Amino acid sequence: METSLSFVLQAIANGLAMGGLYILVALGLTLILSIMGILQLAHGEIYMIGAYLVYYLTSSLGISLYIAILISMGAMGLIGLVLERGIFRPCKGDFLSVITVAIALTLILRSYAVAQFGLFERTVPKLASGSLVFFGVAVPKDRFVAMLIAAAMSVALYLFLKMTRYGQAMFACAQNPEGARLRGINPDLISPMAMMIGCALAAAGGAIAGSIWMLTPTMGTLPLVKGLIIIVIGGMGSLSGAIVAGIFLGLMDGIIPVFFGPVVTSIAPLVIVVLILLVKPQGLFGHG
Amino acid sequence: MDSKRLLSIFGVLLLIVFSFAIAPFLGNPYWSSVLIMIVINILLTSSLRTIFILDEVSLGQVGFTLIGAYVSALVVMELGLSFWAGLILGGVASAFIAMAVGYPFMKLKGIYFSILTLMTTEILRLIAYSWKPVTGGQYGLTGIPSPNPLTLPGIGEINFSSMNNYYYLALTIVLVCLFIMYIIEKSHLSRKWIAIKDADNLALSVGINVMKYKVLNFTIACFFAGLAGGLFAHYQGLLSAGATGRFGVMTTLNLVIYMVIGGKSKFSGPIIGTIAIMLLMEFARPLDNLRPMLVGAVAIIFVLLLPEGIAGLPVRLKSIGKKYVSGVLR
Repeated sequence: METSLSFVLQAIANGLAMGGLYILVALGLTLILSIMGILQLAHGEIYMIGAYLVYYLTSSLGISLYIAILISMGAMGLIGLVLERGIFRPCKGDFLSVITVAIALTLILRSYAVAQFGLFERTVPKLASGSLVFFGVAVPKDRFVAMLIAAAMSVALYLFLKMTRYGQAMFACAQNPEGARLRGINPDLISPMAMMIGCALAAAGGAIAGSIWMLTPTMGTLPLVKGLIIIVIGGMGSLSGAIVAGIFLGLMDGIIPVFFGPVVTSIAPLVIVVLILLVKPQGLFGHG
Repeated sequence: MDSKRLLSIFGVLLLIVFSFAIAPFLGNPYWSSVLIMIVINILLTSSLRTIFILDEVSLGQVGFTLIGAYVSALVVMELGLSFWAGLILGGVASAFIAMAVGYPFMKLKGIYFSILTLMTTEILRLIAYSWKPVTGGQYGLTGIPSPNPLTLPGIGEINFSSMNNYYYLALTIVLVCLFIMYIIEKSHLSRKWIAIKDADNLALSVGINVMKYKVLNFTIACFFAGLAGGLFAHYQGLLSAGATGRFGVMTTLNLVIYMVIGGKSKFSGPIIGTIAIMLLMEFARPLDNLRPMLVGAVAIIFVLLLPEGIAGLPVRLKSIGKKYVSGVLR
């Protein structure tokens, strides 16, 4: 009884931490998708490069973890700006070109990481050491810090979108690009902003993942797939949907393996997504 | 039949003869194996482009090639059928599943269709990866026999266990498939697909059964993807469905790159693109881990500067030449 409770609590903590990471990736994906109309398949690689940047800053330059995460977020935001201006804007509107460019970016970033850092695993310092005790069960503290960071960033993004002029302009662009243009909102100003925010969030997610688990050049694939699952379940372009779906998916990933094993864990969300796409493609929380 | 058309038929025949003659000329099993993979990937990329005629990007061809591969391997190993029966059954199984899911799948468009097909591929891969009694689970399927020897009148018995001979076999099968695909491309079917792509409501209003033709498109494309899987299975002799293997996401992504670099709107595009990029990967061996970076850079350059791909190069050069000539004349 004691052990099973401990398993479940650990699973829930793990799941919520994973959910937080997935949300950070999915928020960026959905922002980029709804404002720029781009399926950013290289988003997982941005996450991976962001994590490696934190690794480099902490291990080689000895910068403390939290400052390194902030620097990495800023740097990946800038890279997002360059990517938007350099390769995504010129092929905007052509679906296949956008996908191809994103795939090419995946190849480039991943092979860079393999060549630069090698295939073996790296680690970043822990977010927090020690553990908290619930009902007599110890749960590692870093999971809670990860959740807190993810929650804080989601709230910050929400406030930015709701409270500021730029945030409102982003909403307008996502809802009706033509109308937004008529109201004097410049899409060439809003798109890079979406890309910057998306890449910065992905970098934060990657850094947190790197400090809880390991860094590998292929670490970006899983969050990309999870991010796609989340934006489908939550409805494309829906931020609150992404958050709810992210928590749901994280909990599934945390709890299902305890009872059913890894195979069901990886197949179940995919099957749910396929069913949702077939029955209600706008997602459970999407409009229209 | 004008002279231009004759010339192009002659050119294609010359290329076919060349592709048969190249293998003994290179004369080592390594290059034969590279050629075999090129030929298989050409078929797979062409099946991707068949769906792209509808302006949809399928990220699921690898999933259907997986079905073809496992079915053709299993019927040969478990039921003792011949290679040819296995190959056809693999294609048919893949086509059948495509037809079964086709109606709901083809209702989706754009991003939704791409995500759907990507997720479907992953589901199929994970099933193959974990269905231990049938697919061998994560250890995979081993000991898939190479095709039984074929006796041809006048030539004698051909044994396909050598790389070189398997290349001839794969090349012949793929050429036949490409010929069929080319006929389809020139037939009323592809006219209807283009009409659906351009304006599906208009197509519907002039009496084209839009869903029927879209499902047919998906089924045909997945049939050829299944055949490519069968060819792969009997060439490799073993199948495994790991995330980084043949049936992983990266293969799907590479197929898109081949198609775009070759030229997405021409029949020859996937053929040219697959050959060009796979040869580039071979000749860039000294770059080692940086080779995907090279391919990615080439892809970005093509998308930004030459979106019609290598197959669009002659037209582009002609228009540049014309501009230059008219500039000189003025």
